[in-house]
Amino acid sequence: MTVSLSKELLDYAEALKDWSIKQCRPHAREVDRSHALPTDWREIMATAPLLPDSLPDGHWVTKLVTYEAIGYGDMWALYAMNNGIGQLVVKALGTPEQVKRWNDPVEQNGWVTGFALTEPGFGSDTSMVATTAVRDGDSWVINGAKIYCSYGAVADYVVVFATIDPALRGKGIRAFVVEKDNPGMVVTKANEHKLGIRGWPTTALAFDDCRIPVGNALGWSNGELPANLRGQAAALESLSVNRPNLSGAAIGIAQAAIDMTADILADRKSDFSAHRWSLISDELAAMNFTLDRGRRAALVAQRLLDRGQTDRVAAATAKAFAPENCERIVLRCMQLLGPEATSEELLLEKWYRDLKIFDIFEGSGEIQRLIVARSLVGKDA
Amino acid sequence: MTILDLSDEQRAVAELAREIGMEVLSDSARAAEARGAVPDTVWQTLFDSGLTMPVPEELGGSGIGDASTLLVALENLAYGDAGITLAAVSSGTAALLLARHGTGAHDDTVKRLLTNPHARSAVALYEAHGRGGAEFATTIAVTDNGLVRLSGHKVAVPFADSAEAFVVVGVDATTAIPRAVVVPRKSSGVNVRPYGPTLALGAAAWGSADFDVTLPADSLLGTVEDSDTLLNSVSLLRLAVAAIAVGTAQRSIEYAAHYATERVAFGRPIATFQGVSFPLAEAQMRIDAARLECAELAAALDTSHTGSIDLVGKVSAAVAYATQVAVEATRTAVQTLGGHGYIVEHPVELWYRSATSLSTVDNDPSLSAYQPVL
Repeated sequence: MTVSLSKELLDYAEALKDWSIKQCRPHAREVDRSHALPTDWREIMATAPLLPDSLPDGHWVTKLVTYEAIGYGDMWALYAMNNGIGQLVVKALGTPEQVKRWNDPVEQNGWVTGFALTEPGFGSDTSMVATTAVRDGDSWVINGAKIYCSYGAVADYVVVFATIDPALRGKGIRAFVVEKDNPGMVVTKANEHKLGIRGWPTTALAFDDCRIPVGNALGWSNGELPANLRGQAAALESLSVNRPNLSGAAIGIAQAAIDMTADILADRKSDFSAHRWSLISDELAAMNFTLDRGRRAALVAQRLLDRGQTDRVAAATAKAFAPENCERIVLRCMQLLGPEATSEELLLEKWYRDLKIFDIFEGSGEIQRLIVARSLVGKDA
Repeated sequence: MTILDLSDEQRAVAELAREIGMEVLSDSARAAEARGAVPDTVWQTLFDSGLTMPVPEELGGSGIGDASTLLVALENLAYGDAGITLAAVSSGTAALLLARHGTGAHDDTVKRLLTNPHARSAVALYEAHGRGGAEFATTIAVTDNGLVRLSGHKVAVPFADSAEAFVVVGVDATTAIPRAVVVPRKSSGVNVRPYGPTLALGAAAWGSADFDVTLPADSLLGTVEDSDTLLNSVSLLRLAVAAIAVGTAQRSIEYAAHYATERVAFGRPIATFQGVSFPLAEAQMRIDAARLECAELAAALDTSHTGSIDLVGKVSAAVAYATQVAVEATRTAVQTLGGHGYIVEHPVELWYRSATSLSTVDNDPSLSAYQPVL
C-alpha cells in the first residue's frame, strides 16, 4: 500500500509550513523561556492559511500532513492550534445529547478540552486508575489526583477517567465531564516544569469531593451507565487515532533540524576535510531517508482510519518509528555542528528537548512495541 | 567500580569524590546551572579536596598526579554533577598544562591557580568542524623578531567570559607540530563570545573564542622537542570529558534501575519486564566497556611520557564511544521513568542534557557515524 497526496493538500502543507516558519518560529524561544504561549497567540493563529474546503485526502491524512507542516516551524503552534483531545472521548462514549453539548462547541466555538487519565501512580498501565467516582443521588463524587492533564488548567471542561468499582480494575473505569470551575476540582500545578514543550500546559489536578451531575458521566442514558461501557478502551482508542499525527509533528521538527544544519554546514564547507565532508553529506542523506520511512508508516495508519479501519498496530508502528529516530537525528545535527549548537542561539537544543516527549506521551515507545508484539505473538507478549 | 583493580590510593580518591559528588555537587547542580557558575562554597570544597587540580607535588601542587587516578576522581564527582565537575577540572587542567609544559615565566600564574580559589583559567582546545580534539587548524608561529603569532577559532572554551588566561592548543605554522601558548583573556586580538544559556553544563560557562594575537616569546609552553608530552596532556584533557560522561551515565542507570524496582505497572514492578531491564543492562555493559577503555588509555598515558599518533587515535575513539554511550544510557534512564523522566522533579532529564552536551565537544564524524534507530 502506498499513499499519495493530492496536489491541493501538498500546496496547503507548503503554505502552512511557510506560515509556521515566518509567524511561529520567531516566538519559539519566548515560549520555551516563559513556559507559556505568546500573549498574542490567538492573533498569530488567526493568520494561518485556511484549510481548503474540498481536499480529497481524508480527515486523518490531512491532519497528519498539517501536523508535520506546523511542527516544521515550531511545535508550540501545534498545541496552540489544537483544542485538546477530551472531545474525542465525548464522541466515542457520549450519548447524542452529550456529543451535542460537549463536542459541538469544540468544533463550532473553539472550546478547549482537557484529558485527565495519568496519575502519579501510573502511566502506561491505564487499568490502575485510582481516582474514584461514587454515585450519590443525582451526583457523582470524584476523588483522586491526576497529572499530565493536557490543557487541564485552561480547558472549558476536563474529561476525567475514574473508577466506579476498583474491584473491576480496567472494566470499572468510566469517563466524566468536569466543567471548568466546578467546585472540588483544584489546579495543584497549572503547568508542570518539563524538559521541553514548556508552553504546552500540562496540569496537575486534585479532585477533592468534586461533585458533578449524574448526567456528566459519558454514556449516561435512561438513568444509568450501561455496564458494557468501556472507559479504558475509549481512552486508549482516542489516544490511538492521534498517534500517527504525533509522529508527523516529530518528523516536522527533525526535518527542520536537518535543513537548518545542512544550511549552516554548507556555509562552513571549506572548514571540513574532503573526507569528512563526504561522510557528513552521506549522513544528512541517511537522515532524510529515515524521515521518509517514518512518513510512510504514519500515512498508512491515517489512510486506514480514513477508510474506516481502526488499526491500532499501524498506529503503534507509526508512533514507535519516528520519534526515537527524530531524537537521534537532532542529536547528530548538534554533534555535527559542535558545542555551539547547544546554545540558545539556535533552536536545535530546544527541538531536542521538545522531541523527547514524543516517545513518552500518548503511549510510550515501550507500549507501542507491546502492541506490535501482541499482533505477532498474541497476549504472551 | 568493582571491576577495576584500584590501588588503595585510588580507592580513597574514589570514595572521597563519590562523597563530595553526592553530598555537595548533586544538590548544587540546578543552582549551578541557573547561575551559569559553580557556587563559591562548592568550588571551595572542590578546591580544598585537590580532586580537580591535578598538579602533583613535583610540579608544586598537591593534587592528583596521574591520569588513572584523575579519571577515577572525575567519574565519581560527575556521579554527582557533570557541569560542576567539568567547570572545576577545566581550571585545573589549565594549571596542569602550565605546570607541566610552562617555563619560569608561568610560575606566578600556576601559583595563583594553585592557591587562589577565585582564579580561573581554561584550556582552549576544541575547534568543531569534525576535528574532535586531535586536529587543529589553529596556528602558532614564532616570528623573526621573536614574538609569537596565534591565529585560530576555538569552541567550548570554559569560563569564556571570566578566565584570566587561556591555554590555547594549536600547531606550529610551519612544522605542524603541536604547540600551546598562554594568552591573557584581555589581550588585544582575543574575541570571546560566551554562549549564554546552553542545553546543559552551564557551570562551565562555555563560549567561542577567536584568536588573532601577537604575544611575547615567553607565552609559549614547552619546546618543539617535547611536543609529544604536550599531546599526552591533551589526551588527558580529552579523557577527562569521557570520564565525566561515564560518571553521569552510571548515575542515571542506577537511578533508573532503582525506580524500576519500585514503580508498579501491569501488576508488578516494571523492572520485571525485560523491555525495561534489558536496555538498562545494555547501558551498563557499554558503560563498563567505556570505563575500561578510558582506564587503559589513562594507564598508557601514565607509563609513557611520549605521546604517539596511535595513542591519540585510540583516545579519539574512546571519547567518541564514551560520550555516545552516555547519551544512550541517560536516554534509557529518561525512558525508564517515562513521564516522570520528563519533569524536573527527577534529575534524569538533567543528566540526559548533560550527556548530550558532552557528546558534541570532541566529535569526529569519521569515528561515529549516524545510524537510524529503526
